[in-house]
Amino acid sequence: MKKKECVAMLLAGGQGSRLGVLTQMIAKPAVPYGGKYRIIDFPLSNCTNSGIDTVGVLTQYQPLELNDYIGSGKPWDLDRSDGGVHILPPYQNNKGGDWYKGTANAIYQNIPFIQRYDPDYVLILSGDHIYKMDYSEMIEQHKSSGADCTIAVLEVPMEEASRFGIMNANPDGTIYEFEEKPKEPKSNLASMGIYVFSWDKLKKYLEEDEADPNSSNDFGKNIIPNMLNDNQKMVVYRFADYWKDVGTIDSLWEANLDLLNPKVELDLSDPKWRIYSRTPNAPPQYIADTAKVQNSLITEGCDISGTVDFSILFESVTIEEGAIVKDSLIMPGATIKKNASVQYAIIAENSVIDEGASVGERPEDVADLSKWGVSVVGAGLHIGKNAKVSAGIMIRENVKEGDQQ
Amino acid sequence: MRKNTCMGIVFPNAHDELMGEMTEKRSMGSLPFCGRYRVIDFALSNLVNAGISKVGIISRSNYQSLMDHIGTGKAWDLDRKSGGLYFLSPYSNNEAKLFVGHIDALFGAMDFLKKSVEQYVVMCDADVITNIDLSKMIDRHIESGADITIAYNKGAMPANHHDVMNFNLDGDKITSIDFAAFNKADCNVSLDITILSRELLIDIVNEGHSHNYTSLTREILNPNIDKYDIRGYEITQYAVIMDSPETYVKATQDVVNNPEVRRQLFCKKHPVFTKTRDDMPTVYGLDSEVTNCIIADGCVIEGTVKNSVLFRGVKVGKGTVIKDSIIMQDAVIGDNVDLQCVTLDKKVKVNTGKTLRGTSTYPIYVRKNAIV
Repeated sequence: MKKKECVAMLLAGGQGSRLGVLTQMIAKPAVPYGGKYRIIDFPLSNCTNSGIDTVGVLTQYQPLELNDYIGSGKPWDLDRSDGGVHILPPYQNNKGGDWYKGTANAIYQNIPFIQRYDPDYVLILSGDHIYKMDYSEMIEQHKSSGADCTIAVLEVPMEEASRFGIMNANPDGTIYEFEEKPKEPKSNLASMGIYVFSWDKLKKYLEEDEADPNSSNDFGKNIIPNMLNDNQKMVVYRFADYWKDVGTIDSLWEANLDLLNPKVELDLSDPKWRIYSRTPNAPPQYIADTAKVQNSLITEGCDISGTVDFSILFESVTIEEGAIVKDSLIMPGATIKKNASVQYAIIAENSVIDEGASVGERPEDVADLSKWGVSVVGAGLHIGKNAKVSAGIMIRENVKEGDQQ
Repeated sequence: MRKNTCMGIVFPNAHDELMGEMTEKRSMGSLPFCGRYRVIDFALSNLVNAGISKVGIISRSNYQSLMDHIGTGKAWDLDRKSGGLYFLSPYSNNEAKLFVGHIDALFGAMDFLKKSVEQYVVMCDADVITNIDLSKMIDRHIESGADITIAYNKGAMPANHHDVMNFNLDGDKITSIDFAAFNKADCNVSLDITILSRELLIDIVNEGHSHNYTSLTREILNPNIDKYDIRGYEITQYAVIMDSPETYVKATQDVVNNPEVRRQLFCKKHPVFTKTRDDMPTVYGLDSEVTNCIIADGCVIEGTVKNSVLFRGVKVGKGTVIKDSIIMQDAVIGDNVDLQCVTLDKKVKVNTGKTLRGTSTYPIYVRKNAIV
């Protein structure tokens, strides 16, 4: 096996339970985003564009769809004879086997995989974020600063800092303290969950962490604090572009509609930094005579005869005549039938909203605004004729004709 | 389910000359069609969807864009360890001259034919837009015991094409062949999809070449209509032979205006495969007005587009009106432009405020990279 300067390890085993019905059957990194992408396309494309050609993807929760999606890694140019993308599920050895107990344990269990490439550095990524980032610059900084660990951070508004893991750093960028969701934050540098480690150091700390029975085997809770306590050199890498965690229904919905906001600096059409995806083979989109499409993103395979405004339509969505879709995400293969209405909603893959049904409500139309939220219809469900799904409701089972939810 | 008893051969340069400027720098097969396809995608997908996993492409000239499009054949699942895609360029040996017809073309590919083990060969000209279940035609050929089976559809002969065959049939047996029956309605028009055994093809090509023949249809099939058992296989799906820029525009309009044509061409059971480009989804701007259009990914539309096809990555500026037009890949149309009945080739730039109008009988064509 040829030596690699850097191996990336992508933590993709999380359930993403706050996405509810959307991650019932698929792991969070496989959740569709932006019309033709999935969340994992962002870290994978960033790796390829940054010159990293060896990526381990650690899977655990509902891996079928994710495995299928990654396949040989061809869409990201990661089908390499030397390196490439490798799916790493938990496995058994002669002493038995374990699920991945935490993020650090997942990497610990795959030390043999990393060792094969004898890397100088290991890049730890997660499949939860939408962002475009040149990891090679971060690794360059890691090298030139002589750090043992470099942590990517983003300046967040001070009032929101208590929602994040906050890095307190000296003016030269060295970290002296890490606080997870501090009540009174001392800085606004939020950890993005992207780490570069010098491999020999990380290996040592993973082994020590594994030997500690009281550890929860987590990077944020154990590895980073332990390294800080030992006075290892830890440095922040400042990132200033678009970055969004898509861990909740609201943030997923927002991050999608950000693509329609001209003020948001997330350009997916930049030929120098393409976001690659596994493209399904579908015909071009057809926009019928009766269609009214405004301020929306629409992709291949769609057949539009209704009204679409401020929405993202994924592959092979059908919007029939008289149907109205506003401020919504319609995921692959879904059908919105005649005169149905979908507002402020996420309709998951292959669901059918039958004639005259309505899903979701505008915040203006809700009496009690505190109860308003984005409505979600899970994958493969049927919302019967003239049924109504109110604001903020998450639908997990078929809704019968005329029912109110 | 069938064992791999068939291989395919595609002729991408089929009647390049009929398309005028459109094929000046490309082959017929690499002519862009319908937003995201090239004409050859239809022939290749038909073969692949019938379970054929070995396809030879016998190119003659102008094949740079074609090679770029086909690549390793990955999009058609033809990047195989066994079989897969064979790009057969002309001048296969020191003595070879540039071929004229199918006989000398196939003679140049004789090694490929001989070393293959498949029992049957399906040959397609890449100038036909149709999406058919070829496996049924292959089954019929095998069951009937015919020497040669050729697909046809009922309709008028293509107006500008000198080499199209019209079959006179007795049942499904072809009793005689007319060529270039111009403007005659109700013909049995050959779609140049031909099935025969590999051994027979090798014999025919060897014999034809020894007589210095070039045309398979005129010099072999027509004179030997009684010697071989030649049958027709009727295609009832939408099919069009590209024989002029006008036909190209008309075929495009068929797809835009006729839901049945779209249903047949973009059938989910046997999809048309093509090379993908990782464009982002198309952006419909705040004041966009798009009706009755076929749109590919990667476009940014801020104006009005009606009854038209936009290929990948087309930009349409504010206040611009596009009607009854075909706008190929990566064209940039500025603000307040007026386009009607035009075909813009790839990467055309139309500056702000310009007007360009053809008519339905005389559409305007603008060549690749032009600036209007």
